[in-house]
Amino acid sequence: MYSLYFDPGLGAMIIQSIVAAVAAILLFSKNILYKVKAFFGLTKKDNDELFDDINVKESDIDNTSN
Amino acid sequence: MTNITNHTASYKDPSGFVFVEAGVVKRQINPIYFKQYQALKESGFFKQLFDNQLLVKHDEVFSSSEKIVLQPEHISFITYPYEWSFNQYKAAALLTLKLQKFAIEHGFTLKDASAFNVTFNKGKAVFIDTLSFDFYIENSPWRAYKQFITHFLGPLVLAHYHGSQSLKLISNFMDGIPLKMLASMLPFKTKLNPFLYSNIHLLAKFEDKHNQDYKGETKASTLSKKAQLNIVQSLYDYIKKLNLKESSEWGNYYNKINYCDSSFDFKSKIINQWVDNLNTKTLIDIGGNDGTFVRKIKASLQHALVCDIDNNAVDHNFKLINTNKDSYITPFVLDVLNPSASIGFNNLERFSFLKRIKDFAPDTTLALAVIHHMSLSGNVSFDMSARFFASFSKDFIIEFPKREDSWVQRLLNSKTDFKAYFDFYNEDNFENSYKKYFQIIEKQHITGTHRVLYLMKVK
Repeated sequence: MYSLYFDPGLGAMIIQSIVAAVAAILLFSKNILYKVKAFFGLTKKDNDELFDDINVKESDIDNTSN
Repeated sequence: MTNITNHTASYKDPSGFVFVEAGVVKRQINPIYFKQYQALKESGFFKQLFDNQLLVKHDEVFSSSEKIVLQPEHISFITYPYEWSFNQYKAAALLTLKLQKFAIEHGFTLKDASAFNVTFNKGKAVFIDTLSFDFYIENSPWRAYKQFITHFLGPLVLAHYHGSQSLKLISNFMDGIPLKMLASMLPFKTKLNPFLYSNIHLLAKFEDKHNQDYKGETKASTLSKKAQLNIVQSLYDYIKKLNLKESSEWGNYYNKINYCDSSFDFKSKIINQWVDNLNTKTLIDIGGNDGTFVRKIKASLQHALVCDIDNNAVDHNFKLINTNKDSYITPFVLDVLNPSASIGFNNLERFSFLKRIKDFAPDTTLALAVIHHMSLSGNVSFDMSARFFASFSKDFIIEFPKREDSWVQRLLNSKTDFKAYFDFYNEDNFENSYKKYFQIIEKQHITGTHRVLYLMKVK
């Protein structure tokens, strides 16, 4: 990686392990909460039409030229 | 090769640059980026993103040991982050995170996360900086993390707490909202939210603490791939749920505008007729609300720009575009009394609205129920507005509400003592001023209203 053409911020690089730890706890607890809700049948269907989930749909055919 | 000009905004990244050759936008890749480019191309990474319409498509048009030239798909009108509505801004943020997740999973990473790397094309947010992908180095943190916070999360959270106007801040802070300022502008309760505390308040503290450190210890910090994916996922989840407190107005948006159905239909019938006769292919609707009138046009349009000062109207339009797949409409937020200026180094990085609209040169301009706001709220004289409207398209359709119109009356009454100053606001003065720049082709009174529609041609 040589294109260091902007300052990523030293603090911002160091802090990411803390941010990630917080994120892991949040994601974990959200998951637990979801499972508990699902057990009691309280989950709402995600009805956001404008935004889908984070995953990019990958086509099955591998288009590599290798 | 003749007539080549480097794009004035493309100078930061040594990997390559954008240039314009005989009116066509192209991108040169320098040898320093060949390895990355080949890997992205050969692994099918680019193709997957093209197929999902996440990255602007390109063709490789030239290749040698010194340079590779790409020709990206033409985007006829670029909108900038400070012209996006809240949900458009969200879409751009989520697109960036989506790309970063996909990149990490395939051995790449986004080396920058500028909001200016995204624009809107065919109704959707699309990433336009093809050279932003680099190789992911195992256990390295995300270099563009801070940039993502200052370009995306920051403005969106500010908009959530202080309204959509906050999204305009980025026109002054092109490199992102300064962290300290961002943290100071958020209410105290955000410090109690673990997500906002860690991503904004703590980040601002860390950056402040380390900004005197010039030893270049950046590389020393490590972060596992799983941990980075957690950051990206939690940012995605948070932003996806983020809303605007003023958004409740949407539901009854058009009910608030007091059109009676028959005059509304009459108005759209005349416009339809005119647009059809003019054989309009491209147009801009200035003050076009949520695109209602553009959607009423039956002639097939190639591209319609619809701008409005109201974030909610533009947001509603964006939602409609997504549900109806109206990919020919590009919505954006614009204050006609203060259109976006040229900004950046040499004032040549982001182009003014006027420069972009003149380049786009729409066949027809629509200005429906906007002149009274310009004249009476903005004190813009008829002569000034005529000169403005005459500067970018040949055909012009304008709706003029007469003095008797209830809206005009309301605006005039709000002037109290200065009401007499606005005596100039009448049909005759309007026509006389506009005749200096336009030829009036047709004039139609909208039955049941005190409004007149004009079809004009630039002289």
